[in-house]
Amino acid sequence: MLAIGLIALITAIFLSLRELLDTTLIGLLYLIPIGLITAFLGLGPGITCAVITFLTLNYFFIPPYYTLAVHRPSDVVILVVFLVVAVVISQLVGRLQSGLLAANAREREATQLYELSIALTGLHNEHAIAQILAKQVYAVSQGEYVELNITDGKPFSFHLPETKTPTRVPEFRVPIQTTRGVLGKILLWKANMAGSPGEMRLLETFASQGGLALERARLAQAESRALILEESDNLKSILLSSVSHELRTPLSTIKAAASSLRGNEVSWDSPARAELIAAIDDEADHLNMLVGNLLDMSRIESGALKPKREWNILSEIVGSVLGRMRHSTEEHKLEIDVPESLPFVPVDYVQIEQVFTNLVSNSLKYAPQNSVIHIQANFEGDAIHVQVSNQGPQVPPEHLERIFDKFYRITAADRVTGTGLGLSICKGIIEAHGGRIWAENVPDGFAFNFTLPLTWDGALPPQLPMDTETE
Amino acid sequence: MTNEPNILVIDDEPKIQRAIRTILTEKGFKVTTASNGEEGLTLAAVNEPDIIILDLGLPDMDGVEVCARLREWSQCPIIILSVRDSEHDKVAALDKGADDYLTKPFGIEELLARVRVTLRHSAGRKDTQSKLIKAGAITIDLVWHKVNRGEEEIKLTGTEYKLLGYLATNHGRVLTHQSILTHVWGSADADHTEYLRVYMRQLRKKLEADPERPQYLLTEPGIGYRFNSDG
Repeated sequence: MLAIGLIALITAIFLSLRELLDTTLIGLLYLIPIGLITAFLGLGPGITCAVITFLTLNYFFIPPYYTLAVHRPSDVVILVVFLVVAVVISQLVGRLQSGLLAANAREREATQLYELSIALTGLHNEHAIAQILAKQVYAVSQGEYVELNITDGKPFSFHLPETKTPTRVPEFRVPIQTTRGVLGKILLWKANMAGSPGEMRLLETFASQGGLALERARLAQAESRALILEESDNLKSILLSSVSHELRTPLSTIKAAASSLRGNEVSWDSPARAELIAAIDDEADHLNMLVGNLLDMSRIESGALKPKREWNILSEIVGSVLGRMRHSTEEHKLEIDVPESLPFVPVDYVQIEQVFTNLVSNSLKYAPQNSVIHIQANFEGDAIHVQVSNQGPQVPPEHLERIFDKFYRITAADRVTGTGLGLSICKGIIEAHGGRIWAENVPDGFAFNFTLPLTWDGALPPQLPMDTETE
Repeated sequence: MTNEPNILVIDDEPKIQRAIRTILTEKGFKVTTASNGEEGLTLAAVNEPDIIILDLGLPDMDGVEVCARLREWSQCPIIILSVRDSEHDKVAALDKGADDYLTKPFGIEELLARVRVTLRHSAGRKDTQSKLIKAGAITIDLVWHKVNRGEEEIKLTGTEYKLLGYLATNHGRVLTHQSILTHVWGSADADHTEYLRVYMRQLRKKLEADPERPQYLLTEPGIGYRFNSDG
């Protein structure tokens, strides 16, 4: 329209000067707007313009005026030359123009790609990468909606703008491809654009850049996993060396006792013989306990220690532990303060029994003879709090945390018998129950504390139907 | 006993086989051994042993399955002897019909004690179910539903009596929570171990001299309860 208006304007000016100007000159002057129009509006309007000017030239300026008829042969030549020149000019200018446009577009693409790769540099999080990729596609394509789906590995998707959801199928669909296959796809909703080759190409380049970044992130993850494995391997070998030390000690006792019995060095009726046999029996039990503890520990560490919860009565558990330990607790005074009126606790009977066994036997080991070992429990809010305290030596504050570590000992190892695992097993069990365990110094000694939640999957302890019948 | 009791040992570990055979033979039992499940099942059918000692980790089939297949046609008491020490494994074997469970490594005294209890129990089962169960000073009269400590009668509620009766008729045997709950409260309440906990506490208070350290009503941690008539 603009082109036609411009031509009309120029035609009007020329018309007023028709008597002064030569037809050839008018033809030449007409070439200027054609060139301009082509330069600003492109090749199509340029050519149209050339044809229209050709007709107006003929109609208004070639006698006889106001017809398309031509009488003079020289005018025919002028018209033909004009048409040819006009078309050639508009084509030349047009080509130049589109070359310029393409160069501009390429520059913009390069900038956008550069920006994308800068934004993706150093990112190792797949979600962050996907988010940036989607944002860039959204900004660059100026589409209505962008969705990015990662289908490989852990699937997730990301879309922009977040408030909107599209109601039709996407116009563009570009796979995110890497050397190891398709990781996902980019979907773009953009109605008024059929998808110029440049735009498609840009989308594809974005997709492949994104794919590279994702792949890089995965490789980095794999590498850090390998590092963690190596680290835990180191820990394992440290553990293994302490374990073999712990295993060898009872084994040496057994070996020494058995070989001296076999070698007839001890007479059949001497008391030493009974002592050696008892040592073999005790140390075999100790070895068995060690193996059991190691198994428990590995279950705890691999997360396989799932408490088999039931509503239990804490005083029954404590009673059964003390019943079993009554021989080893003879040299200490036990004070039990675990009321029967406490609510049911949702715990694994056997595991909590083990916690009590380990805490009590630890107390027995360090507390002096005839001193008091006190077990008390009360409930505070939605948890039960248990304390096992003894009148043994206090523990330097810096050790209080670490005594729950595997094979951690404050005193020299040979003074105390045990597996070095008891307390760390307690910690594992209590934590698997959702509780907390800690040690502290109390005014006249040392105490272990732990808590046990009273709720089980949100349920509170049951109130029991009481048996009212009598017989 | 005039006839020496016949014991079948099903265990694939030659050293364990040898140890058990040596000791049990010395104690006056007749011992047969099998080293896999199939052989064990065949020998159990041919020899009609008085007790079967069964390992769970057999090369050809799981011990729990051997247990289940034996129970299809035999009431012979089964003592499990296994390295598997999880309560889950114990409960599985007991629910499939095993009478007792002993974890390796075991003390031989312990094994002999269990064998004796099992033999006594199965003898009791054979002679027309005894109607009167004695455990120390406690007497349980299954016909008249009466429980006495010495001369004094102990009053029990209906549920308490049902529970005690079930445990006492199976004295010496480990009964799983599941089986006690199903038997006393019905299968709908088979998950409510808390019922069992409360009633056991009540029973202990009425029967035991020291309810915190019971002699008769023993807890098998994580598995169930056992009535000990030797208390």
